[in-house]
Amino acid sequence: MNKEIKRIIVVLTAICILFISLVAYLSYFQIFKAESIKMNSYNKRLWINEERILRGSIIDRNGKILAYSEKAGEGYSRYYNYGNLYSHIIGYSYREYGKAGLELKYNNALLNINESTPLNELKNIVAPSTEGNTLKLTIDHHLQEYTRNQLKGRKGSIVTMNPKTGEIYSMVSLPDFNPSTLRENWRDIVEDVDSPFLNRATSGLYVPGSVFKVLTTVAAIETTDLDRNYECTGSTTIDGYTLKDYGGKGHGRLNLEEALVKSCNTYFADKGLAIGKDKLGEVADRFMINQEIPFDLPTKKSTFPYKEKMGKTDIAAASIGQGKVLVTPLNMAMIASAIGNKGEIVKPILVKEVISPQGKVIKINEVRVISKATSIFTANEVKNMMVESVKRGTSSKAAIKNIRVAGKTGTAQNPSGKDHAWFIGFAPADDPKIAIAVVLEEEGSTGGAAAAPLARNIIIEALNTIE
Amino acid sequence: MLNRRINYRVPRNLLVLFELIALLLLFIYHKGNLDRFTIISGLSLIFIIYISNFLLLRLSSGDNYIFLIVTMLISIGVIMIYRINPLLGMKQLIWLGIGIALFFITYFIVKRIEGWEKWINVYVILSILLFILTLLLGSRTRGSINWISIGRFSFQPSEIIKILMIFIISSYYTNYERYKKVKYGSYYLIGIMYLFIGFLFLQKDLGTVLIFYTVFLGLQFIYEENRRLVLYNILFFLVSGLIGYLVFPHVQIRFEAWIDPWKYIDNKGYQITQSLFAIASGGFFGTGIGLGHPDFIPEVHTDFIFSAICEEMGIFTGMAIIMLFMILVYRGFKIAINQGNKFFRIVALGISILFGIQSFIILGGVLNVIPLTGITIPFVSYGGSSILSSFIALGILQVASEDLDYGEEKYEQGN
Repeated sequence: MNKEIKRIIVVLTAICILFISLVAYLSYFQIFKAESIKMNSYNKRLWINEERILRGSIIDRNGKILAYSEKAGEGYSRYYNYGNLYSHIIGYSYREYGKAGLELKYNNALLNINESTPLNELKNIVAPSTEGNTLKLTIDHHLQEYTRNQLKGRKGSIVTMNPKTGEIYSMVSLPDFNPSTLRENWRDIVEDVDSPFLNRATSGLYVPGSVFKVLTTVAAIETTDLDRNYECTGSTTIDGYTLKDYGGKGHGRLNLEEALVKSCNTYFADKGLAIGKDKLGEVADRFMINQEIPFDLPTKKSTFPYKEKMGKTDIAAASIGQGKVLVTPLNMAMIASAIGNKGEIVKPILVKEVISPQGKVIKINEVRVISKATSIFTANEVKNMMVESVKRGTSSKAAIKNIRVAGKTGTAQNPSGKDHAWFIGFAPADDPKIAIAVVLEEEGSTGGAAAAPLARNIIIEALNTIE
Repeated sequence: MLNRRINYRVPRNLLVLFELIALLLLFIYHKGNLDRFTIISGLSLIFIIYISNFLLLRLSSGDNYIFLIVTMLISIGVIMIYRINPLLGMKQLIWLGIGIALFFITYFIVKRIEGWEKWINVYVILSILLFILTLLLGSRTRGSINWISIGRFSFQPSEIIKILMIFIISSYYTNYERYKKVKYGSYYLIGIMYLFIGFLFLQKDLGTVLIFYTVFLGLQFIYEENRRLVLYNILFFLVSGLIGYLVFPHVQIRFEAWIDPWKYIDNKGYQITQSLFAIASGGFFGTGIGLGHPDFIPEVHTDFIFSAICEEMGIFTGMAIIMLFMILVYRGFKIAINQGNKFFRIVALGISILFGIQSFIILGGVLNVIPLTGITIPFVSYGGSSILSSFIALGILQVASEDLDYGEEKYEQGN
């Protein structure tokens, strides 16, 4: 081969390398980068539907309009009728700030956009839709308002739901924000140290304290060879660490029921050690702790890291809901529901139906059991104990005349120094219509004193007004 | 004979099939105003391309693939331009007709006339005249002066000068022995090239500078015996690139937009990010013709046609375009290696490098692999000057692919 041909081949190779690198880059771009680039809010393709489609309304379970859109000049304006009340449920939809809550999750339904298949695209060209679908929520507007009023002035969250169907009746997280005035207040909200954007109900991770004893009780019942008796002296020492009961007084001789009714820490710490972390963890898993909760809003996983190395003190602390255990209020409401619902956990739902502009129901969220948390017998036994807790134990402030209420309080120590006040429960105990989880963040008071009365009020209101 | 027929017929028919399917989708998209106009345009596209491929097979004994590749490219281009703007698509179709006519005319003229390697001075003077004309009459678009308007028509003289430049380089190296004997003769070519590049700098047409420079460097690398000159040329390029960056603000803008387009998404990076959105939205198979939003990209029918194609016809079609250019370049180089006539050998190389590098610069630009320079994709982008000059170049390449008997003795001399 002469020099000329050799050099020609060098140049050809160089050009081919350039082209092949383009093909390689194009593949790399498509596989690794395209997805995030496509979702950039500057991509007008994401907004093109926004400008020509009337975004659907959002209504409560009784048809009350909570959010709607109206024509305003060229495009459409979004109105939120109840300001702060639905900040964490409905969220917001702004071009400059993006979307949150159901506005984000159900964006396609609200704009009536089908999945982008060529066939659907073709349909859109032939008969473009101009009006989005309506979302019908499971929320009861009156109860939502009532719940928020109960929590007002505090930090924390309350979730109420139907234990059998998973329908969320009300879900409040404070502090919240007003989606109608987001433009004016954006800076303040973003910089607020109390993070008003955080939906505490689904994403707030709290130390559960004694409400977690419900799960320890389930584990204790399932551990058939466990000795359920214990002599409480008011404190116990594990690995050199002394664990005390509330007030430091001994409860004397206790069985499982008495221990739960009186919320005896030393009892559960001792039995938790006997049950072992793996059994405890397995029960927690069935109650959706460490699990992704399928929901219409983003959720955080509650955690109980039993698969990691845990010392005796860690296990004892976890048995009474302290230490490394963290839960979300939604998860606790589901745990209460499971005890009331024969041990079955149903998928929590927030959007009942998606209704087309023509009034046709195009999607229904049906009841779905997502976990068989425990047996009907165990659930029944725990329920009776929780009823006793309300009748004569720490939960007595949740008691309602003529109605059997099942409940459990919690007073959770946390790094802030001020305890979280908890209450979980359901009523009526034998045929529950409502389950509830209340957490008052850094309340500095006990669950029995602070959280139980709120739960009582809300349960009464719910039983009187819903259906 | 039968074998040969199958070889050429099959791709030609596949091309018709591709055009039919694409046009069908186009009709569905234009459902609202499906008129005779659209149907006639579509049919004439298929007809022109089929007939010219058929004719060429009869006329030319040379390479039959390069024209086929180019007609595939131009079909994709015309259909996409028509989808973006039917009026421009119609105009592009007319340019395509003129371009193909010009291809055949060029083919006959270049083949009939002998002695192309002797007129280097004519090419140089013609180029300089065109440059001066551009500077005097040129109109400014997007920072560069590169268009001359005559009545309703406007054209880009640099498109013609590209071909003249290849002829200059080819004549020079064909008569290399003679220039070497003259004092400073070996600097003659480099002087002319830098003069051209200087003119282009004055026009601020940096994309074209890059093309001129690369074609020159490629041919110089193959034929220059004084290897130091090649090295100097590369150094000169780096220095002039640096000077260009420091002197011209619009070079700096392009460069910054290349480094991080997302930071300047509202201004400098707008075009390139819109292009990336389009490519990202298409996926491997595209949204389908008429179902994407390539109209969001400014200049989509010229510089950014590739992004539109990627969005609606998919990344796979984008890759196909890149591969088609690669095959075109490969065929061009193969033609050169087989050509006995030294002048046409160099011309074939020059034209192949031109097609290759021009498409790489703009494809790499819209993908943000290299800084964006506003030039057209040969045969694919909208634009009369670009289509015509590309077809002239292709016509010359077609001649170069044939056995040119009058070149034998020069081949011996050249080596």
